[in-house]
Amino acid sequence: MNSRKIKDGIINIFIWAAAAFSVGILIAIVYFIFSNGLPLISSRFITAQYNASTNIIHMTSEQTFLQPSGQDIFSENLGIGLEQDDDGFWVNYVDTNSPGRRAINNADEIVPVEVGQLLQAVTGADGQLRVDANTSPEDVVAALNSSPDITLRLNEQGGGVWPLIVTTLLLILTTLLVAAPIGILAAIYMVEYAKPGKVVNTIRFATEILAGIPSIVYGLFGFLVFVNTLHIGQSILAGALTLMILLLPTMIRTTEEALKTVPMSYREASYGLGANKIQTISKVVLPSAIPGITVGVILAIGRIVGESAALLMTLGTFARLPVNMSTGNLSLREAGTTLTVRAYVEVNESGNVEMAAAIGIVILVIVFALNIISKLISRKFSKANY
Amino acid sequence: METKFSVKDLDLFYGAFQALHHINIEIPGKQVTAFIGPSGCGKSTFLRTLNRMNDLIDTVKITGYVSLDGEDIYSGVDVMKLRTRVGMVFQKPNPFPMSIYDNVAYGPRCQGIKDKKSLDAIVEKSLRGAALWDEAKDRLNKSALGLSGGQQQRLCIARAIAMEPEVILMDEPTSALDPIATQKVEELIESLKKDYTIVIVTHSMQQAARISDKTAFFLMGELIEFGDTNQIFTKPHDKRTEDYITGRFG
Repeated sequence: MNSRKIKDGIINIFIWAAAAFSVGILIAIVYFIFSNGLPLISSRFITAQYNASTNIIHMTSEQTFLQPSGQDIFSENLGIGLEQDDDGFWVNYVDTNSPGRRAINNADEIVPVEVGQLLQAVTGADGQLRVDANTSPEDVVAALNSSPDITLRLNEQGGGVWPLIVTTLLLILTTLLVAAPIGILAAIYMVEYAKPGKVVNTIRFATEILAGIPSIVYGLFGFLVFVNTLHIGQSILAGALTLMILLLPTMIRTTEEALKTVPMSYREASYGLGANKIQTISKVVLPSAIPGITVGVILAIGRIVGESAALLMTLGTFARLPVNMSTGNLSLREAGTTLTVRAYVEVNESGNVEMAAAIGIVILVIVFALNIISKLISRKFSKANY
Repeated sequence: METKFSVKDLDLFYGAFQALHHINIEIPGKQVTAFIGPSGCGKSTFLRTLNRMNDLIDTVKITGYVSLDGEDIYSGVDVMKLRTRVGMVFQKPNPFPMSIYDNVAYGPRCQGIKDKKSLDAIVEKSLRGAALWDEAKDRLNKSALGLSGGQQQRLCIARAIAMEPEVILMDEPTSALDPIATQKVEELIESLKKDYTIVIVTHSMQQAARISDKTAFFLMGELIEFGDTNQIFTKPHDKRTEDYITGRFG
């Protein structure tokens, strides 16, 4: 009796110690990331470009703009508002029809005027006016209004992660749009259509093997096939296709498990009422399996956000908005880089742990938000807890 | 009495195992026919051949002839169509995880009825037919899983009669219910038989005696005896039937 008590005590201690250890590690990681990264977090960190740049851009005014109330320094010619501080003049307003939104640089690429840029020089009818903190607002506005054809030198401040956030979200969306339908349909085939036997077992074995392959191998495959052979180039599309292949095994597996949990009696009832297979699957089986499928999607999102090796060669490491330079629109054919890849590169190339930790905070927030959103969506469609 | 189902020389195999041996039976229309017999005697399996639910199991092979109103249901018949004519109620109440309304409207919707007014009418008529309307009319849009077991089973019956079938197959419909719910379902079956042909599998000989007009006794995959319920329970021709109904085995 006594020795059993001692044994129980020892086992209890191990159980508690293991639980405390894992919770402790989790807290330590969150504390480390937040204590290192939090000083960098600000609204500018989220919204600013990653790299500083100076652009010389040309625009042609075709109308006059109304001065919005509360906007003291305003060019009626261009529809652009400024505010002055110790560093100089900052763009703080761009009218929706402003020619600044269609401004082009010397290479004929669209480089729009954006809020948060620092004005350094204006070239109008009276030659170039250099702008700094000591320039008077009247002179600046006069120069901006001096001619329909205006050339500006604007300084874009860097140090933010906006391009990384945009790229990450675009990549998640694209990957899910490709991977989720294929994964779910494949799982439906495996559970509802395929006859149990050698073929299904072989497919299942193959998907399990695929799930165990390190992601750098997928990265190499994506680089060789999508980037080089199919000439997609390093881009969001190439990254998403590579991630699709990487995600399919887990996607199929989780959806299969979700479909298998739907009671056979639901299917029987549906067939018994004269429904056909497609009706049974779409009206009864899938709605009941949605919670399980959502878990698969959430895991997939986590994998996409966390992936670095598969994206290094297929998406690139250059922190830029994936914007087509000749149209100025976001494009899936453009390269960029995700938060995670950049955090890796940041530590690896410049040893900037604070920056990487700050990116880590943004990643945590994004993953948290996406999880909640996918849960809400699944609750809307789910029949399982009806 | 017109014959609804006519079955000749039916054999059924699960893989190599023969579950039904040379079944020959004529099931009359607008009456309640009960299948009785010990567990594993093939009565449920036979019930499921009547609306081809056994098709869902890959290993099942069937030979012989089953006709509904003289039409062979195993050749050249649309299975979906057949199941709208021959509805089914299962052993465990299995409403879909949807609202009561959507449960009843499921079958008609699958047949392409979308008009809200016709669906409303079908739902009300079916729930009234299953004696559930008064209990359910104020909660049509609530989950069907919130109903009690007996109500759920009557909902399943309502769901089946929403298709306006000719036959309703019932596979031990009261085995998961308490005595009061069982009584309600039995009363319902009694009232349904003027419009529908009912074939019911039951474990309970008392139930068969109470509600059925004809009784078939199955044993080890064979149909031992089939006749009027009264005759089967009072003057069985076969020794095995007598042994079973007098409780000597089973």
